[in-house]
Amino acid sequence: MVKLRINNREVSATKGMTVLEAAARVGIEIPAMCHNSDAGHFASCMVCVVKDKGSSAYIPSCSAVVACGMDITTNSEELELARKTAVELLLSEHAGDCEAPCRIACPANMDIPLMNRFIAAGNADKALETVLKDIAMPSVLGRICPAPCEGACHRKGVDQPVSVCLLKRFAGDEGKIELKKAPPQAGRVAVIGAGIAGLSAVWFLQGKGFSSTLFDSNPLPGGALRYAIDQKKLSRQVLDRETGIILGSGVEYHPDTTVDRAGFDRMVKDYDAVVVATGDLTREIGEWGLANNGRQVAVDKQSHQTNIPNVFAIGNVNRTTKLAIRSAAQGKEVAFSIEQFLAGSEPQGEPKPFNSRIGRLLKHELPVYMKGVSSEARIEPPVKNGGSFDAPEAAREALRCMHCECLKPSGCMLRNLAQRYGASQRRFRLEERKPVKKTTDHDTVVFEPGKCIRCGICVRLAVKHDERPGLTFLGRGYDVEIAVPFEENIKVAIKKAGSILAEACPTGALSFKNGAQVKQP
Amino acid sequence: MKVQPGKIQKDVDEVIALSGKDKSSVIQVLQAIQDRYNYLPREALMRVCDTTSITPAEITGVASFYTQFRFEPAGKHIVKVCTGTACHVKGATLVHDAMAREMKLAPGRSTDDKRLFTLEKVACLGCCTLAPVVQIDDTTYGHVTANSSAGVLKDFLSRDGKKKKKKGVILPGGELQGEIRVGLGSCCIASGSSDIKDAVDAVVARDRINVNIKQVGCVGMCHQVPLLEVVTGNGGTEQSKLYAKVSPADIKSIVRSHFAPPGLLTRIRNGITRIAETIQTDDDWEGIERYSIDVREKHVASFLGNQIPIATEHRGVLDPLDLDDYIDRGGYGGLKRALGMESGEVIKEVAESGLRGRGGAGFPTGKKWEVAASQPGEDKMLICNGDEGDPGAFMDRMLLESYPFRIIEGMTIAAKAIGTSEGICYIRAEYPLAVRRIRQAIDMCIARGLLGDNILDSSFSFHIRIREGAGAFVCGEETALIESIEGKRGFPRIRPPYPAEQGLWGRPTLINNTETFAMVPYIMDKGAKQFASAGTNKSRGTKVFALAGKIRRGGLIEVPMGITIREIVEEIGGGIAGDRQFKAVQIGGPSGGCVPHYLSGTPVDFESLLDAGAMMGSGGLVVLDSGDCMVDMARYFLSFTQSESCGKCTFCRVGTRRMLNILDRMCSGTAKRGELEELETLAMQVRAGSLCGLGKTAPNPVLSTIRYFRDEYEAHLEGRCPTGKCKELITYYVDNECIGCTICAQKCPVAAIPFSPHEKHEIDHKECTRCDICREACPTGAVKVQ
Repeated sequence: MVKLRINNREVSATKGMTVLEAAARVGIEIPAMCHNSDAGHFASCMVCVVKDKGSSAYIPSCSAVVACGMDITTNSEELELARKTAVELLLSEHAGDCEAPCRIACPANMDIPLMNRFIAAGNADKALETVLKDIAMPSVLGRICPAPCEGACHRKGVDQPVSVCLLKRFAGDEGKIELKKAPPQAGRVAVIGAGIAGLSAVWFLQGKGFSSTLFDSNPLPGGALRYAIDQKKLSRQVLDRETGIILGSGVEYHPDTTVDRAGFDRMVKDYDAVVVATGDLTREIGEWGLANNGRQVAVDKQSHQTNIPNVFAIGNVNRTTKLAIRSAAQGKEVAFSIEQFLAGSEPQGEPKPFNSRIGRLLKHELPVYMKGVSSEARIEPPVKNGGSFDAPEAAREALRCMHCECLKPSGCMLRNLAQRYGASQRRFRLEERKPVKKTTDHDTVVFEPGKCIRCGICVRLAVKHDERPGLTFLGRGYDVEIAVPFEENIKVAIKKAGSILAEACPTGALSFKNGAQVKQP
Repeated sequence: MKVQPGKIQKDVDEVIALSGKDKSSVIQVLQAIQDRYNYLPREALMRVCDTTSITPAEITGVASFYTQFRFEPAGKHIVKVCTGTACHVKGATLVHDAMAREMKLAPGRSTDDKRLFTLEKVACLGCCTLAPVVQIDDTTYGHVTANSSAGVLKDFLSRDGKKKKKKGVILPGGELQGEIRVGLGSCCIASGSSDIKDAVDAVVARDRINVNIKQVGCVGMCHQVPLLEVVTGNGGTEQSKLYAKVSPADIKSIVRSHFAPPGLLTRIRNGITRIAETIQTDDDWEGIERYSIDVREKHVASFLGNQIPIATEHRGVLDPLDLDDYIDRGGYGGLKRALGMESGEVIKEVAESGLRGRGGAGFPTGKKWEVAASQPGEDKMLICNGDEGDPGAFMDRMLLESYPFRIIEGMTIAAKAIGTSEGICYIRAEYPLAVRRIRQAIDMCIARGLLGDNILDSSFSFHIRIREGAGAFVCGEETALIESIEGKRGFPRIRPPYPAEQGLWGRPTLINNTETFAMVPYIMDKGAKQFASAGTNKSRGTKVFALAGKIRRGGLIEVPMGITIREIVEEIGGGIAGDRQFKAVQIGGPSGGCVPHYLSGTPVDFESLLDAGAMMGSGGLVVLDSGDCMVDMARYFLSFTQSESCGKCTFCRVGTRRMLNILDRMCSGTAKRGELEELETLAMQVRAGSLCGLGKTAPNPVLSTIRYFRDEYEAHLEGRCPTGKCKELITYYVDNECIGCTICAQKCPVAAIPFSPHEKHEIDHKECTRCDICREACPTGAVKVQ
């Protein structure tokens, strides 16, 4: 028995136990990333550092063995900062995107690569389900969106970007889903304005189980979509179909209802939350008591909360630039804010996961992304079909997607820790990033050494599972990397333990080709 | 060179038969393969994996870790530009760039198209007083400049292929007329002392003079090499004369002045520069500063006066490989005494001496031995750490080369004290002479019953093996060194368990630095009290330093602990050379820090140096003057540790790189406000969060220079380098002293100076690469730096 103190508590531990294990025994969690009990101790990432008060040294708790008289601190501002720095140092050399750049560029953060996978597989329904998680009116937006996603598409470096907007239109037009009623949540929400922002807010509020009431001064829903956009660009049938879906989701809808100052005040009292999505800031709305500068209502950028705590403002009432997809995105975000607000916590909008971003791909990095990807040129649909894809065209276009997304989007410990510590990838971006490397030759595993944190778990597990030649550390210092000895193919190097290695890898350096197999955290 | 596959198989099988088949032999196997092919052919490595238990992952992992190993054939000649501290402050980077230009190397390549030369940077050649130094194969050129680089290559090629003159034979008979001592430490050899030795042999043989020609170890006066000492007379009437910076051409006259009719002596004194006769000489003795005969002068006395030789006892008179000489002068007295004592008594004696580890951290040696001695089991190990890799420090090498018996004796005493019969001497691969000398010394000791079974007819046995490092600074760290001996990549282990409890192959292991072992025989022979009488209360005894930089007299010195920095710089070093001001000393190399001139009253002991933000380190001591940029110094040391990081833990692997990025940005004028604070924050975190000593101490040179020279950092943030050292922040221009001689225009390697005879020259700043050649070449000093 070894007696020591952890966070001022007396702890007894078994001889040979690590500090991490001793702490876990009494319910003290210490973050760890490079630790793997099957592969043995190594201590490389250093996010598990704790402080021994006696020596005032930092020690890696995952490998340091308990000793009598240790007086360990596991949580202090100093240690949190050190862990954050460790994560930021690793991120500074991380040559990989967490999400595909198209998704990052999309104001609604739509999972474009996943939609593409479903369309390529001929599954328009699943594609639509994917889209609707983030975007309320895909058929409408599939006709009017300027597609910032396509501007960010890495495929641009090869030829033309993937036709994401038309694929989304295809999903919206051709996919069918059944509306599922979400379990109801306590809270009544009033939404003023049935433009794309208000409709989107209603869609996501309903989706979260809140009962919402929609007020609009116009006789028909759609706001600027109906009254400002050319019919040739956006046919009224398409608009009616999608507003119909939203209004059919159980919302209480009051068209032809102009809200005045008194009405607004009543709503603020009668409803648990109010969403102002009126489009322009008219003089009258300007006098509702919402802080504004004469052109826009002042809101918190994340939550869209106004100076009146239960009132939120979205769409063009809080900004001047017209971008329908942004208004739609704010409709989704405000639903999160209201949910948080009604649960009694600080409204923050949709949680934004940490994203590692590498920026543009260099010419020589493109071939690796193009492996197994259709080399066909961007497909332009014939005009006779209203400029829409038919199913075979959509599938062919979706196969052009290079799938830049990480295959371990949620199982990546580095991403999760970056999120936890609010890490910045920019802090130490002081030199050119390392080259992106990706090997897809293996049957089940994708190897991306640029995402490696050099913990060597795979090297040791490969030895344990008798893989030959296996993997090795090559070089040293900053340039050390994990590689296959004698530059052999990874297919030859790892024959049996591929899944075990991908499972054990703390980042996306070794991941499953079929990302679905990744363990959720 | 194309090697036949069949031949490779046969070669490799031979190598394995000699070096061993087990995993821990992998480094020796790789070294042997590289010895044969000059690089590591892939087929050879695969053959090793096919015929031994060494796996592909192990062999590629290990081979790529150590810098000694090459994966591509190298050029016929290896050009090593020393980038040690002393060479750095004297412009080694400019020399390296100039060499690359002369060899017409493609960017990123180190071997020229014709495979004639391969250009390498080397951490330290240990000839700091000849800085900047370039070594081509076995020939060393000192005081090389960017301007003279072309000449050095030309000179080497003109010498290459010429057969070495046959050595003279000494004829016996008659009474000894005296002794001629030639320093044959690495630094002496680098300055040409083996040619001197050959010349002495030749002239002595030809003149049939009966003198004893003796090669002696390092005298420490490296600023005067090559050194020649002539002792005349016998039995109490000896007279000694020391000649400094001699050249082979001088030898005949020098020897004859002592052992031949007078007359000649006068000639030398009157004008050595116009000696008519030459012996086996190459007239273009280029590169190294030419001779100037120097009789015993006052400054020799003050150089040696403040020193106390313990580790370097009998320096300058002891033949490194003459065991009788060593024993006659009291050698092995310590071991004899230890053999008659109980283990505990030996440890007590060492503990009482107050000796602390000389590797840098200063852990009490007696305590370390006690822990090792108290471990159960018969299979303990003892290791002598001779993996000195600090740029600008070469104490260990000098000790191993000049006093091999003393180190072996020290190890033997330690082995007796802790109770082990197995020892390993781990020596840096870059020290071939040290390896050779220790190997020969071990054989001699075995033959004499001083090593091996039943030493001096006692029941105590002790065996020493040699292991050569393969080029990794981190292996100076004891746990990384152990990994290396086990045939692995030099990744440090987590302590505890300490090596004394669980070290090499899991056995209790005592590791001490070379210098520590060199102190032990003195302590055992003369007693703890005698040793402790030198030094301070907490830091007893002496410390060996490599003194270099901008001082008049550099070299290896052994001084009592507690001596002040000022005494070392002013009295031993003779103050700053040239007309600049003393600015700071850098102590402890990449783990140490800078102590500014106004703190030069700081005593040199473990604690005082730590308080001043420096560290004893391994003992490099580089003096800086007002022309040295402290930001550049910090960058220099950090770039060293950064490139030597093993790559295991994040703070060291990436953290030191990011610190270096910031320093690079400062030195190139691209850093922004706030980056100095970021550098400090990161430095503190790297210090706290790194796993081993390398990472923990790497920020020291940065933090200590920020502490004392913050204004220089701030100037760099404003785009100024106050000392004009940082290339990107300076411009070269020609002032009115220009006489229009066109030399600069002819010398400029990038044609940045238009050819305009009899007119004032202009430098095109866009083309200028700031290589410094024009400034050096200008006969009137008209090229200036702004």
